[in-house]
Amino acid sequence: MDDDTAITVDHISKKYCKSLKRSMLYGVVDIGRNTLGLSSLPQHLRKDEFWAVDDISFEVKKGGTLGIIGPNGSGKSTLLKMLNGIFWPDKGKIAIKGRVGSLIEVGAGFHPLLTGRENIYINAAILGMTRKEVDEQFNSILEFADIGNFIDTPVKFYSSGMFVRLGFSVAVHSDPDILLIDEVLAVGDKDFQIKCYQKMYEIKKRGTTVILVSHNEYTICEQTENCLYINNGKMKFLGPSEEAINIYIKETLEHRRKDFTWEETDKLPSSKKAEIISLEFCDQNGDAISFIESGQELHIILECIMREELHHPIFGVNFYDNSGFMYCTNSDYENVSFEEPLLEKIRITITIPHLHLPTNNYFCSAIIAEESVDNLIDWHNMAYRLVVGRARKARGAIKLPTQWEINKT
Amino acid sequence: MSGIISTYEPDNSLKKGYLSIFPEIWKEVKKNRWLIYQLFKREFSAAYKQSFMGVLWAFIIPVVSICVFMVLNQSGILSIGDIRAPYPLYAVLGMAFWQLFSRGLVASSSSLVNAGSMIVKINFSKKSLVIASAGQSIISFLVQFVLVAILFFYYHTAPSFTIVLIPLIVIPIMLLTLGLGFILSLLNGIVRDIGNMLSILMTFLMFLTPVLYAKPKTGILATVTNYNPLYYLISVPRELVLMGTISEGAGFFFSTILSVTVFVACILVFHLTEARIAERI
Repeated sequence: MDDDTAITVDHISKKYCKSLKRSMLYGVVDIGRNTLGLSSLPQHLRKDEFWAVDDISFEVKKGGTLGIIGPNGSGKSTLLKMLNGIFWPDKGKIAIKGRVGSLIEVGAGFHPLLTGRENIYINAAILGMTRKEVDEQFNSILEFADIGNFIDTPVKFYSSGMFVRLGFSVAVHSDPDILLIDEVLAVGDKDFQIKCYQKMYEIKKRGTTVILVSHNEYTICEQTENCLYINNGKMKFLGPSEEAINIYIKETLEHRRKDFTWEETDKLPSSKKAEIISLEFCDQNGDAISFIESGQELHIILECIMREELHHPIFGVNFYDNSGFMYCTNSDYENVSFEEPLLEKIRITITIPHLHLPTNNYFCSAIIAEESVDNLIDWHNMAYRLVVGRARKARGAIKLPTQWEINKT
Repeated sequence: MSGIISTYEPDNSLKKGYLSIFPEIWKEVKKNRWLIYQLFKREFSAAYKQSFMGVLWAFIIPVVSICVFMVLNQSGILSIGDIRAPYPLYAVLGMAFWQLFSRGLVASSSSLVNAGSMIVKINFSKKSLVIASAGQSIISFLVQFVLVAILFFYYHTAPSFTIVLIPLIVIPIMLLTLGLGFILSLLNGIVRDIGNMLSILMTFLMFLTPVLYAKPKTGILATVTNYNPLYYLISVPRELVLMGTISEGAGFFFSTILSVTVFVACILVFHLTEARIAERI
């Protein structure tokens, strides 16, 4: 192992058993074999076993950051637990240099009947801190958790936010050389989340190696240099976070289930004075696309049939991301007026010179309305999809569309 | 930055050889003394905090069992046998030493299961957890000795000065408890039947071992008792407190050797296989 390498993961695999009774049997057999000095033959799959993590290798330099991304059940957490030494690999080898801290689940080991103060000591001890370290850090832990005089109340009576804040506070004060984080930052209120990110930044600056598991593309991009994308336990990509995220989003596009149907369209008045035929996304060359980098030029081509003349027709396109946020444009906002009556088949081209949408996998709706956006004539609800990838050299969620002028004064 | 390299690979401990295991275990326990204390405190509070009687429950259980035995003896259903000391004193002492074993074993064998959610989330010394649980029985042991002191006072007798040897002479029974606790906690983590089996076995063993009655002179029970290491591990310390003598030294000696052997074998197995428990618990 090199001097400046913090973690070496060498072709590791981990198998799980799907059947509980067999898992019990295998557990006893493995223990028996190890006791007798025999290998437990971990490289072979027995009945009902499968590889939850399959042949993964990577290295992280001291002070480096690595994100791990993948859909649910892809083996991210198992991988993290193996790095922490909770689970041992069945194949391959992990070498880790220095003290490992984990934010896999904060507040694990808190006893509900004990007070916050008592739990700080116990939790810190479990996390591997010495008594001296806890004594030194105690005030800082208390201050960060910010739970006031509840510190001498049994943890049982804490709000869930207080519980998590205390747990997080202890965990970040354990001063590890390597910190493993599993999406715990998604807890607490906004203020506390900001505090957590600040703390993480501080920890990274101190030279701590960070491994971050998250579903959130934005967090991964902001917090890590490199990213490992895994699916079904297998390594799909390892490289710069932006590239990894773009590949991840593209690949998961097919897997994202379409939960919404056309049902609601059917509820619209059946008169169908107008009808949407199709919506298509094109790049600046006019080629149809389903993936675009944030900030690039996008053309949306909407084709409709107008059977009757609408009084003040409105056309619109909405983008929904996977957290439920909507981004939209429509002809009413833009004060687009149509001089001659729209009849028969029409084709509308909406040009977005710079599509500054955050990286995400978007569902899109197309609408035709009359007079007001609420008075829908036809509506294709979440019927189209567009993946927005991360722009190169981007920072933050989006690049702001700006104009700059610098003058000598 | 500390330069300690941890490596995880399959059958890791097998590659290191048996000899390096003992220093490893020793280092682990020594390093984790504070953790053991904290876990001990955690479990103690868990058992007694939300209870008005708290640790007094350690009094009640032996007192009730002893009363039952006295009633049964008086009505002639069973015979306690020939005892040279006041019966309550004899019985409370017997129960104190017995519970050091039984409570310790029940607590330690369920230690990994009870801490299951912790074990799958944090990597920490599992030996500390078992030791901290087994240590719970020391508290009730001490509480029961308060009861012993009260009884000595009540019967106007004094214990033999050899009572100071108690901490030394309970070492074998504690090693046996801890050793069995290690292996049973591991197995209980995988197969929950162990825990249920153990609580039945403990009741059975208590009646099989002369804890609340004198050692019978004839019959099957007498033969069984002769080969029952628990009997020697309990009766010798009790005799030492009551009389200041040791009449069954050989039995105690062999039981001690057995206890140490069990302890060493079990901690070895535990060390070799503890890495597997998190994925099965």
